[in-house]
Amino acid sequence: MAVVAEPTRNRRRRRSGPHARREARIGLLFVLPCFLLFLAFRFGPAVAGVLMSFTDYTLTGGGSFIGADNFTRLKDDPLFWDALKVTVVYTVLAVPGTIAVSVGLALLTRRAFRGSKVFRSVFFLPVVTSLVLAATVFVWIFSTGGPWSTAMGWIGLPEESWLSHDTLVVPALALVGIWSRFGYGMLILLARMQDIPRELEEAALTDGAGPWQRFRYIVLPQLRPALFFLAVIETTASFQVFDAVYTMTGGGPANSSYTLVFQLYDAGFKYFDLGYAAAIGVALFALTLVVALIQRLTIGKED
Amino acid sequence: MTSAPAKTPHDEIPAGPRKAARPGRGGAPGPAARRAERRLRRAANRDSVPHAMRGSTGGRIGRGLLLVLAAVVTVFPFYAMVVLSLKPAAAVDFPGSLVPWPLGGEAYESVMNSQDVPRWLFNTLLYSLASVVGVLLLSSLAGYAFAKKRFPGREAMFWSFLSMVMVPYHVTMIPTFAMIAKLGGVDTYWGLIVPTLANAQAVFLMRQFIQGLPDELFEAARLDGCSELQIFGRIVLPLLKPILATLGVFVFLWHWNDFLWPLVIGQSTDMRTLTVGIASLQQQNVPLNVVLSGSVIAFVPIFAAYLVGQRYFTEGVTASGIKG
Repeated sequence: MAVVAEPTRNRRRRRSGPHARREARIGLLFVLPCFLLFLAFRFGPAVAGVLMSFTDYTLTGGGSFIGADNFTRLKDDPLFWDALKVTVVYTVLAVPGTIAVSVGLALLTRRAFRGSKVFRSVFFLPVVTSLVLAATVFVWIFSTGGPWSTAMGWIGLPEESWLSHDTLVVPALALVGIWSRFGYGMLILLARMQDIPRELEEAALTDGAGPWQRFRYIVLPQLRPALFFLAVIETTASFQVFDAVYTMTGGGPANSSYTLVFQLYDAGFKYFDLGYAAAIGVALFALTLVVALIQRLTIGKED
Repeated sequence: MTSAPAKTPHDEIPAGPRKAARPGRGGAPGPAARRAERRLRRAANRDSVPHAMRGSTGGRIGRGLLLVLAAVVTVFPFYAMVVLSLKPAAAVDFPGSLVPWPLGGEAYESVMNSQDVPRWLFNTLLYSLASVVGVLLLSSLAGYAFAKKRFPGREAMFWSFLSMVMVPYHVTMIPTFAMIAKLGGVDTYWGLIVPTLANAQAVFLMRQFIQGLPDELFEAARLDGCSELQIFGRIVLPLLKPILATLGVFVFLWHWNDFLWPLVIGQSTDMRTLTVGIASLQQQNVPLNVVLSGSVIAFVPIFAAYLVGQRYFTEGVTASGIKG
């Protein structure tokens, strides 16, 4: 392959004149429709979003540069700190939960057996389901006298509606998040597990390693890159949690499930305070980057 | 419904001989022979895992129980959604209302007669299908150019696409909305659809795929005097079928389930998509069975597509690393 590819590239580099110009024209023509839309609706707005966070832009007027005022305002806004806390608590519950369930079910469905494909399909079904639709039935599941509170009664806990309880509402939302995401993690990990050389585990087996030791010292280290990838993806998704919250609780009771994206939505589309909303977006982005960096330095480190 | 049927240890003899006993591929095997071969191959696969690594019978029963429990927990919300949507409005007690009789379609009648849900279904279909066609066309054109053409600015353009994969959607959403509002696109179909057509991930996946196609194919067509558009339409597109299917399913799913953008752009009742409309029903204290029948109507097309083309769903969603 390489032998064939090398001369082609050399010939191309030297080539100029009408043919190359024609190729460049065609190339640009094919890329431009997509690239112009991309400039207008993705790249441009990303730059504009950062610029806008330094203005008092509203839909009706404003737009003058106000320095870091939006960020100072954010710093003094108790609602922002509450939303940040709710978002972080949700993430701390949902991300490890999702990854733990993903690892467990990937291990259980790893070796082919009769019905293993059916199980995998079932576990992936929530991933393709809209969280808004799922939320409509989870509202009933978590209602007073519904399946969840009844089950809590069976194990001796108070039978109450978690969605109207100010400290239990976020764990309830995290459970919904885990339900909707674990199938994805399971699939990623299964793909990675197929690549683990079987000889490694067989050798450990001959040396007398039990199931836990084989998992801890053979499988887990091999899964590390996949786990890092999942941690970053799941954390990013958790920081942006909105659909289920909007549908199930509306941020309540008394803002106890009010997340960052919910605040961004309210600032932008309820109060049309677009500059402030853009500042929340930038804060969210910064937070995502910092956490991804920390994850890179801990789970993602090469060793 | 635990794992494989319990076997005595004597069945689990090493893999070698059994693998060797696999029939050769001579002649044209009938369906029965193919089935038998598949069964043998599966058995060989099973046997190549050392016995001790598969755990004891007790361990396998435990694994089966855990899997069944997890499957029940996973499926329960879907079951409850369907059964409760077929119940009269008052029946929402637990566990009584989960018994699947008597069932009735009153909620569906009221939902379909209300005009709203059929309209939302239409909007959702339009949003999803138009976006699939647009994204696939634009990204395959751009992916082909990025992979096979040299033109000034190619690297810069490609890197600007890539850099945006990491920027959260919420940063770009506010200025996009402001721009669409200025252009008068709020509450219109074009305002809903056009900003979602430039999909960086789709371009990236297309480029990856097209880079793997041999140049000779295109050169030959060019020597035969085909125009560039003819080459694209007659040679490139047919070769892209697998990636078009995978990507198409992913884009469809993403738009069908999309919520925040349709929520902010579709401000009148008539311009809502199903997800936005159902969320609004949920908030208006509409009876549970009516809300859930709306959810079932929104879920059935995805479920049907999932049953038929499951492979494309899993490939699409894992290849893109994004959930819709």
